[in-house]
Amino acid sequence: MIWQNYKLGNTISKTPEPVTLWKTERCIIEISSDTLAVPIKLDDEEKGYVLHGHGKLLLDAIVETGEGAIGKSIEKELDEPFLMLGDTKEMQEHFTESSKEDFAAMDYENQQEFLDKAEDLCSRFFREREHNHQSFDGDHGFIFAFPNEAENLDILVAKNSKLVYKAEDVVFVSNKDKVVLKSQGEVVCKNNGKSVVIKKDKSVIIKKTLF
Amino acid sequence: MKIELTEELKEEMKKLREEFANLKEQLKDVTEKERERKRGIHIDVGTNVREYIDDVMEGVAEGIHGELEKCVFIGPKGVKILRERPSHRREHQIEVSLPKVAVVMSALGHEHRLRILKELMSGGKYINELQEKLSEITTSTLSSHLDVLEEAGLVVQEKVRGRHLITIPGRTAYKMARRVTRFLERRDYK
Repeated sequence: MIWQNYKLGNTISKTPEPVTLWKTERCIIEISSDTLAVPIKLDDEEKGYVLHGHGKLLLDAIVETGEGAIGKSIEKELDEPFLMLGDTKEMQEHFTESSKEDFAAMDYENQQEFLDKAEDLCSRFFREREHNHQSFDGDHGFIFAFPNEAENLDILVAKNSKLVYKAEDVVFVSNKDKVVLKSQGEVVCKNNGKSVVIKKDKSVIIKKTLF
Repeated sequence: MKIELTEELKEEMKKLREEFANLKEQLKDVTEKERERKRGIHIDVGTNVREYIDDVMEGVAEGIHGELEKCVFIGPKGVKILRERPSHRREHQIEVSLPKVAVVMSALGHEHRLRILKELMSGGKYINELQEKLSEITTSTLSSHLDVLEEAGLVVQEKVRGRHLITIPGRTAYKMARRVTRFLERRDYK
């Protein structure tokens, strides 16, 4: 059973109210009201959605070390269709039926145009990667894929306090106080107050801090 | 291209070995003559010594080959020699942006901002925690000071958590400001 066998659902819904898709101490993903949503199905079971509305991703990709803070907060406007895989049961409660006006509001001439865009996104995500059904299920958290300016996909994988974010210029991995950040040629690892910074000039700084 | 280079290296190594063998022979003669002259003792260079020298030469050859592999990149567009410049030379080549210097110095040029940096040296803080520590500064003034520090890259704010953290340049700038002041005070330049 592999993800390449996915199918998009026929019913396109919308969110009547803003919805917080994911929220932790470091990350928030929100979508606005009137966000369009088409389900991604595998063996007739909903495994996620392609969503298109006005949303926002906020992620504190910052590591505080004894040398000072490294990294920045990522603030990404979610104005393009993006993909979300994970437990859909809770999401289903937030959806209502969509209308022609909802498609027009998102600059779509009709429903098919949105479905084509959703299909294109899924195709890029699933066919460019080898996803195994056993390796990911709703119980294993969420996967988000956001198109970026370089026409690639920024990937965010989240489960409880664990988070992995990979974009063009940054890779951020965190699990509570354990953090790894690769940004602008620097690599920072922090665990339990101990930090290792590998700088651009290949110098390595190892420090222990109280914070 | 790689095969050609390997062949050239082998040829060079062969020549080196021949030269080394000649030199060894000459040295042997000279040494024997000298020893015979001085003490009348004759010593033959044994097989073990030759093997040892051969081993050393092999090691040297491998070393040269390894170094060449590290610095010569053979790609589809040809051979590229990778040279690493010493870091101090790179430092001199970096242009210092004077407007940026002015922004940083301006951010440091206020007692309240220096006190904020000092508080943040012990770890990231929420604005209310800073407010408690710096009670004489109003919340709006504190916010505008934090904006100035953030603009200069000395402080960064976590957008989700809301904490303010001192950055690496922030720590360096704060320490530098203190050092300069201490130096001036010591020299009594007022």
